[in-house]
Amino acid sequence: MTLLLLRLGGSLAAILLVAWLVARLELGADVRLADADEARALAAQAVPGFVAQDVALDRAKVAALLRDALGRVMLLRRHGAHFVGSLLDSHADSTLDRQFLTIGAVTLDLGDQAPVWAGSLRRL
Amino acid sequence: MTVHPYDPVSYAIPVFVALILLEIAWARRTRPDSYEARDTLTSLALGLGSTVAGALTGGLVFAAALWLYQYRVMTIGWAWWAWALCFVLDDLAYYWAHRSGHRVRWFWASHVNHHSSQHYNLSTALRQTWTGFIALSFVFRLPLALIGFHPAMILTCAAINLIYQFWIHTEAIRRLPRWFEAVMNTPSHHRVHHATNAVYLDRNYAGTFIVWDKLFGTFEPERDDIRIHYGVVKQLGTFGLLWSAFHEWIGIARDVWSAPWWHKLSYVWREPGWSHDGSRETSGMIRERVGQGLDGFSD
Repeated sequence: MTLLLLRLGGSLAAILLVAWLVARLELGADVRLADADEARALAAQAVPGFVAQDVALDRAKVAALLRDALGRVMLLRRHGAHFVGSLLDSHADSTLDRQFLTIGAVTLDLGDQAPVWAGSLRRL
Repeated sequence: MTVHPYDPVSYAIPVFVALILLEIAWARRTRPDSYEARDTLTSLALGLGSTVAGALTGGLVFAAALWLYQYRVMTIGWAWWAWALCFVLDDLAYYWAHRSGHRVRWFWASHVNHHSSQHYNLSTALRQTWTGFIALSFVFRLPLALIGFHPAMILTCAAINLIYQFWIHTEAIRRLPRWFEAVMNTPSHHRVHHATNAVYLDRNYAGTFIVWDKLFGTFEPERDDIRIHYGVVKQLGTFGLLWSAFHEWIGIARDVWSAPWWHKLSYVWREPGWSHDGSRETSGMIRERVGQGLDGFSD
């Protein structure tokens, strides 16, 4: 039992050391969307078959909203050193504050496009 | 004579840590985006939890195998060739366990943890399940005890197989000599397995020997013209430990609860992505659509 606890403690210490080292070396790039085309490609990868027709990039390029021909709207957001996309099925969790559109925990600075996209979400 | 299982994995942990540190040094110079601190922490914490779960349930698996061993067809013994044969047959059993782990949602709920990182590095190798015992994935190995291999030998071979699979979780090694790639599972083959690109979905289930995939029609070679995206088809989008460990089980429970009575069990035993109303896609459906050029994107 003591040996098991020692192993557990050693493993925990090693885990914290490795994670600290990765953070200290600042691995995991500060990823940003290059442009709308990259957002489209990532959206297609996130939901196979999603072909974005309209794209609105967040000003900091850490998130985007995309709409396809079927009217589906996807939120693409940064997650660590990658992006994740999820289809939105309601506007219940979204709020508009001038150029800022907040969806769940993600706030996008969409400039003058924000009210337009907020309107899109209301139709979901 | 009482024989207890030998656990080489616990002795391999310092080597795992050393190799991760080596890969981090490589990443710093060559691919800084291949590691991310929160992702690494989640992977390693899942690994630690998995060793705890294994310590709690490993004895039960060993007891079940010992019980079955009483009814063995023959007694194979401990000769060197028995070890070699046991390792090969255990790897075959692993292939089918792993294939089922991707094709049956009940097993997938346990295995999905291992695929939930969008990174592919040595820490991903340690992103292991906490619920393997609940999923009963060990049953695939039990027939070896019935054949006549001692359970201690089976579990040792299984552990060596697991250790082998550690080093193939890396982007630091591109290709190995052709003869090695032809027979063994390699970083190249296993990158394909972790990819979410449609053409790579549900391919290369091998543990140690890639020959099983070639034999059973699930082999796909890595292509240089495809940029691999790692993870799961519906990315997790969180570093939360508990959600990472249990999200698919919760998904099954929700689906079983809300499905019509005659479809409830299908959400347990059908493939991940199956739905009774066709509102979701399985990997097979995605592969087929992309194969027909209907997905509208390419890599």
